[in-house]
Amino acid sequence: MNRDDAKNILLLYRPGTADAADPQIAQALALVKRDAELARWFGEHCARQEVLRAKFRQIPAPAGLKEQIISEQAAQERAIIWRRNVVFSAVAATVVALLILATLWLRPQGGGNPLAIYRNRMVGAALRGYVMDLATDNPAQIRAYLRQSRAPADYALPAPLEKVAVTGCAIQSWQGVKVSMICFRTGKPLPRGEQSDLWLFVIDRALVKNAPPVGPPQLAKVNQLITAVWSQGDKLYLLGTEGDEQTIRHLL
Amino acid sequence: MAKGVDFESLVTCHYQSLYQFAFSLTRDEADACDLTQQTFCIWAAKGHQLRDESKVKTWLFTTLHREFLGARRKQVRFPHVELEHAAAELPVVPPTSLNQLDTAQVLAVLARLDEIYRAPVALFYLQDYSYLEIAEILEVPIGTVKSRLARGLERLHQLLTGGTATGSPSQQPDL
Repeated sequence: MNRDDAKNILLLYRPGTADAADPQIAQALALVKRDAELARWFGEHCARQEVLRAKFRQIPAPAGLKEQIISEQAAQERAIIWRRNVVFSAVAATVVALLILATLWLRPQGGGNPLAIYRNRMVGAALRGYVMDLATDNPAQIRAYLRQSRAPADYALPAPLEKVAVTGCAIQSWQGVKVSMICFRTGKPLPRGEQSDLWLFVIDRALVKNAPPVGPPQLAKVNQLITAVWSQGDKLYLLGTEGDEQTIRHLL
Repeated sequence: MAKGVDFESLVTCHYQSLYQFAFSLTRDEADACDLTQQTFCIWAAKGHQLRDESKVKTWLFTTLHREFLGARRKQVRFPHVELEHAAAELPVVPPTSLNQLDTAQVLAVLARLDEIYRAPVALFYLQDYSYLEIAEILEVPIGTVKSRLARGLERLHQLLTGGTATGSPSQQPDL
């Protein structure tokens, strides 16, 4: 490395910085120590660099710039928070509205009354259509089928109901347990396509929390059906048919 | 993540040097203020993505430079200048004459440099950044930084002394 090489390299040298660690600059600096003319040039160069560095660093930032930056950012954050709150409120309101709607939609009639819910559900099954698992006019076959299917089969029918012709049976479900559905035909004219007009649902009494105590049947109109509910033994019975209270009382 | 960096402290630490860099590039107070503010706005939005807190300052300078280039590109398309070795003729600039100049004159001379030399020269004098850090900020190879610095400094000194350089014979640095 000659003197001119060193000058070229040292042009990029700033006193008091880490530039001296650069291998090329370190080599040039070593030459400065041995070359008096180069040392004189280097001294002037360092002075120039210091002056220029000082000039650049004298650029004054406008008064209030810092405060302006901070306040601008704070304003933006407030705007973001406001927008976020608006969006959050809108989402929250939508969720609440949906929850209310879902609650209203899904809430079974009867509210928190398990017996009413059960009654409504079974009436609905009778009215909305069902498929008989076994079509027969033989009560014994119905019991056998239900027993085989592990649905309640040891039910006791009121004497008047014993005289009504059976048409078959189906198995419904209530909270995961089986409900026996025995279908009857009272003898009245049936609507086209219908095979039954009287239904008896039997379930384990313990499974319906507020099942009535053993006693006279409780009558209630549910949709188009008049229903009677009573407990006997460990079973809960629900009988339903179209008509009025008199109609069903004749069957109990 | 740089989540722990307090915005107000960050501004306090860096707004002045960022403004100086911005002003060196634009020579316009309003533009420099805008660039500085915009840089901190970008930090507020994206700074949390920076994993290494020690790189905050470099990140800010890089962002400011990008914003400057982005704004300039809308006005004029820069021609790409290939790397060239710096001319080796070194100007002789007496420090006493430099002392008589004020900062505005120095910046006016800086503004006469080609665009590609302005940022490295400004960073060279404003900050104690290493060549590697300047390369990171400007997002160019370190060899390019050294070349641009050599040419930019040479030209700056020529302009400051008001004439052509005289001195040592031509030498090309090995960059």
